[in-house]
Amino acid sequence: MQAVGTRNRWIWSARILFLLPVSLLFFFFFIYPFFFTVFTSFTSWRGIGSMKFNGVKNYAKLIADPTFQKALGNNIVWALSQGLIQVPLACLVAMILVRKPFGWRGLRTIYYLPNVISTVALAMVWVAIYNVDGPLNAILADLFGMEKHNWLGNPDTALFAVIFQTVIYIGYFMIVLLASAMNIPRSLYEAAEIDGASTLVQEINITLPMLRGTLITTMTLAMAYGMRHFEATFLMTGGGPAYATTTMGIDLYLKMDALRYSEASTSGVFLIIMGTLVITLLRKLFGSSDPMSEMAQ
Amino acid sequence: MKKPLASIIGNTLKWILLISLLSLALLPLLWLLVSSLRTNLELQTDPFGWPQKFQWVNYANALAMASLPRLLLNSVVVAVVTVVLNSLVTSMGSFILAREHFKGRDILYTILTAGVLVPVISFMVPYFSMITRSGLYNTLLALILVYTAVNIPVSIFLVTAFMKSIPKELEEAAIMDGCGFFKRFSMIILPLSRSGIVTAATFCFIYSWNEFVMAMLLTSSIESRTIQLGIKFFSSQFITDYSSMYAAVIITIIPSILGYVFLHDKIIGGLTTGGVKG
Repeated sequence: MQAVGTRNRWIWSARILFLLPVSLLFFFFFIYPFFFTVFTSFTSWRGIGSMKFNGVKNYAKLIADPTFQKALGNNIVWALSQGLIQVPLACLVAMILVRKPFGWRGLRTIYYLPNVISTVALAMVWVAIYNVDGPLNAILADLFGMEKHNWLGNPDTALFAVIFQTVIYIGYFMIVLLASAMNIPRSLYEAAEIDGASTLVQEINITLPMLRGTLITTMTLAMAYGMRHFEATFLMTGGGPAYATTTMGIDLYLKMDALRYSEASTSGVFLIIMGTLVITLLRKLFGSSDPMSEMAQ
Repeated sequence: MKKPLASIIGNTLKWILLISLLSLALLPLLWLLVSSLRTNLELQTDPFGWPQKFQWVNYANALAMASLPRLLLNSVVVAVVTVVLNSLVTSMGSFILAREHFKGRDILYTILTAGVLVPVISFMVPYFSMITRSGLYNTLLALILVYTAVNIPVSIFLVTAFMKSIPKELEEAAIMDGCGFFKRFSMIILPLSRSGIVTAATFCFIYSWNEFVMAMLLTSSIESRTIQLGIKFFSSQFITDYSSMYAAVIITIIPSILGYVFLHDKIIGGLTTGGVKG
């Protein structure tokens, strides 16, 4: 009896020893920061000195702030463009590649390639491409005789320009959707073939319904990513011109840079809320899929 | 047999789409590569075009830039140590989460992997405050700790899924042979999960090598900055020498491209670990 107890205690110490490093890191970099952010968002705090509780003042100020409203609006545009353009396009490509056209493996590999290249490098290239004297204007002038346009410098086109470049990251959602499409039993298509259904009809009646779960998951992730978008825009425009491309993340960073820590935390709380809202909203709308199982990377 | 018109149109549209996306994925990188081999005058007069003569000197100029070797070294140290640390702590954790049975295990797994759903950029304030207070501001260790932690959800997800797929019989046979807890981990589960751990490590490396925001937030001088900050902020050194700057950028993306060439099967496999369940 005593031997069992000792053995039990020993196995528990071993388990805890193995779980401790990962749990501690997770606590310090996920759990604690979450509560810290929520807590400081209700205080006035500039990084030094004590935190003074000031209720929902930061929230009232944030909601009334036209820059933040602009940022929130831009994030919503981002989320919608990622969820409703990027993912359907990725799905279309997956539906083409699942039929294994010539070179589909190579295409799949190359479509994912931009995802492993640093955003800093690619943002630099896109800034050059969008430059007034850059390649894009040169092509458009040659093809359509279009006048030179300052894509990132003009508030009317800057948001479109920074969102457009995300099309090169399509490979990520495409690969997830393709893997799911490959699991659809071939027999379904064979039966439809016998019934004389055209390829288009097969795609609409078999592939799309079978991909439903994965589509919802990828759409949820894409929209959540849209809500937290920061890096490429920060690098390409810094949120300008005239806040035309600013996002909640950029708003947070700029406030932090100006030592307005508690206001930055309030933006952070909004960022978390909007991301969570997207996830719960899509789950409510389309029923639950299992995002936990598909969120590798 | 004559092909119906609709199928010809469909086929053409299909290839137009596939090739446009292929160009979008490759052309920016090719443009960068070609531009890094041209002279500045060539770049200014025509944004396109082939170099009259390959300007390898641009690469020499980039490497001669005082800080580039140091920044590259910093990035290598950060990425390698992060990958080792992350692989170690997550394979230990995943071993328990995948192979041991106890109450609360699934909750712990859910919490750890749900970290993926949290926008880490919203933690800029606490990260900065924590790192400054602990005296780690402007050190490589700060970046290593943050990167190791931020990658925990993805790594735990991938490695636990892999460890769960190992047949129970193998472990039971080992227990019969008298293998204890540590031997079960180090002699059975760890070697058999190598492939899953390598996949997680690959994602972790790509993240650490490419990360920009936290590095910008937590470091301030050449001694501890990474190459991504280098090409962003020290580009002012190149203000008139764009071709050398592009050469520097090419140097920084070579590790990513090489890694992808060798490990793309692992990466694609990792992305579809969950996808197949959908």
